[in-house]
Amino acid sequence: MKPKEKRDRRDFVRGASAVLIGGAVLSAARNRSPRLVWQIDPEKCTQCGRCATHCVLAPSAVKCFHSYSICGYCDLCGGYLRPDAKSRNTGAENQLCPTAAIKRTYIEEPYFQYTIDEDLCIGCGICAEGCDVFGNGSMYLQVKHDLCVNCNECAIAHACPSDAFERVPASEPYLLKSDRERRIS
Amino acid sequence: MKTVTKNWAWFICIMVLILGAGIYLGQSRRTELGKGFDYSLDEYRQVDPSLIHYTEVEPLVPTLEKISALAVAPDGKIYVGGEDAVQRFPDAGTFPIVGIPTCMAVDDDGTVFLGMQDHVEIRSKAWKKTVWMAPGGKAYLTSIVVEDEYVYVADAGNRRVWRYDRAGGEPLEIGKKDSANGVRGFNIPSPYFDVDLGPDGSLWAVNPGYHALENYRSDGVPISSWKRSGFTIEGFSGCCNPSHFALMPDGAFVTAEKGLPRVKIHNQDGSLRCVVAAPNQFDEGVVGLDVAVDDEGRIYVLDPSRNQVRTFEEKK
Ligand code: SF4
Ligand code: SF4
Ligand code: SF4
Repeated sequence: MKPKEKRDRRDFVRGASAVLIGGAVLSAARNRSPRLVWQIDPEKCTQCGRCATHCVLAPSAVKCFHSYSICGYCDLCGGYLRPDAKSRNTGAENQLCPTAAIKRTYIEEPYFQYTIDEDLCIGCGICAEGCDVFGNGSMYLQVKHDLCVNCNECAIAHACPSDAFERVPASEPYLLKSDRERRIS
Repeated sequence: MKTVTKNWAWFICIMVLILGAGIYLGQSRRTELGKGFDYSLDEYRQVDPSLIHYTEVEPLVPTLEKISALAVAPDGKIYVGGEDAVQRFPDAGTFPIVGIPTCMAVDDDGTVFLGMQDHVEIRSKAWKKTVWMAPGGKAYLTSIVVEDEYVYVADAGNRRVWRYDRAGGEPLEIGKKDSANGVRGFNIPSPYFDVDLGPDGSLWAVNPGYHALENYRSDGVPISSWKRSGFTIEGFSGCCNPSHFALMPDGAFVTAEKGLPRVKIHNQDGSLRCVVAAPNQFDEGVVGLDVAVDDEGRIYVLDPSRNQVRTFEEKK
């Protein structure tokens, strides 16, 4: 190899490395500096289903949350039962959740407890829709921060038709309806 | 082409390829959710037209904001409560209050009983105010009925009906769970808990967590009940339904629901008599459709979404 060619190659390698390293450093700096994370405002979410399909993770980092202080104890739970459920038991044909992620436990007459199995939940939001229409809205979607990789541009936020995603301080990463209720009262 | 230019061209091509592949892979997962994820109530919004026996006539349009309480007085006048006032129809007299009432009743001599979340405000004909506090720290009053001896007040916060003497004082508690005497208690997941008086003067209360209507003696002993669950037109669906009801002169029940907003009439045994207004006659998502009936069987529906009292008459 001629010395000039050698120099050209060295310059190129240096330049390309600088571009790659510079990009990586910039992106790392952008990722680290703001302690802000993505979260869903449950009052704005219209349960369009994109939280299940647009997250870079599969299954999505968005999960169903349940604020027990609002509701979630009755036999007739609109977030648990399909609108056309033939009966109110745990039969798969009666359950609204397509992945059977909502567990129903009998507590005492007339109370039940509804818990979400995070491993099964894909963040489709159907239960939140049923709960909004027929219940008190105690089930809603939130970005789970032990799963979310906090993308610079959250792919769901980009696709959200309701502008429900916002940046919140990492020190208070959830927009819980129960907290909101407490703040109002 | 110089080697360095060639190298840069290759570098840019590879980067574009990587970027393109990333975008493609990202997009390719973005399919819409399948049919199993559909949530639609369209089927239940349709009602067989032959079941609708009522027709809508001109509504009452109050000049108040945020209307929230409705009552038909024994003299046939309609009272509507809203932000900072009560309005009376047909004369449209307006009477000031402070706040938004959650429920209202009017007695023979024109005294108005207003539920103001945690207390009852009694307004004499001269609009002089007396206050009865509801017991317990978490009162949320949702319905009031008045008869000669007692005033019954439904309290969704405490899940009780309070029976006051006409002079006020310490109320009697109705609805505390008492299995030995057949009282299962009121299951009230949200603040929709209505009461009314039957033609015989006995108390009827909705038990919304059970989709049931329950009849009580004035001392709180249960007499009878009926329940109807189901999304079809014959039943009540979701939690806290019927959210409101009123008894007709013949003892039938006019019921209003939330979630799937509809107004129906059920016979004394709970069977469906007819439909007054179908879901497609209301704005989607409307809640708080309080209902009242006058002596001529005209049905009034307080519609918070349109801020009107909608009026329905039986078809000729
Ligand atoms: S219905 Fe969807 S959002 Fe709700 S628990 Fe099931 S998978 Fe999660
Ligand atoms: S930031 Fe990324 S990982 Fe987190 S929810 Fe959005 S797309 Fe998913
Ligand atoms: S994309 Fe937006 S509206 Fe759709 S489910 Fe997610 S937060 Fe709700």
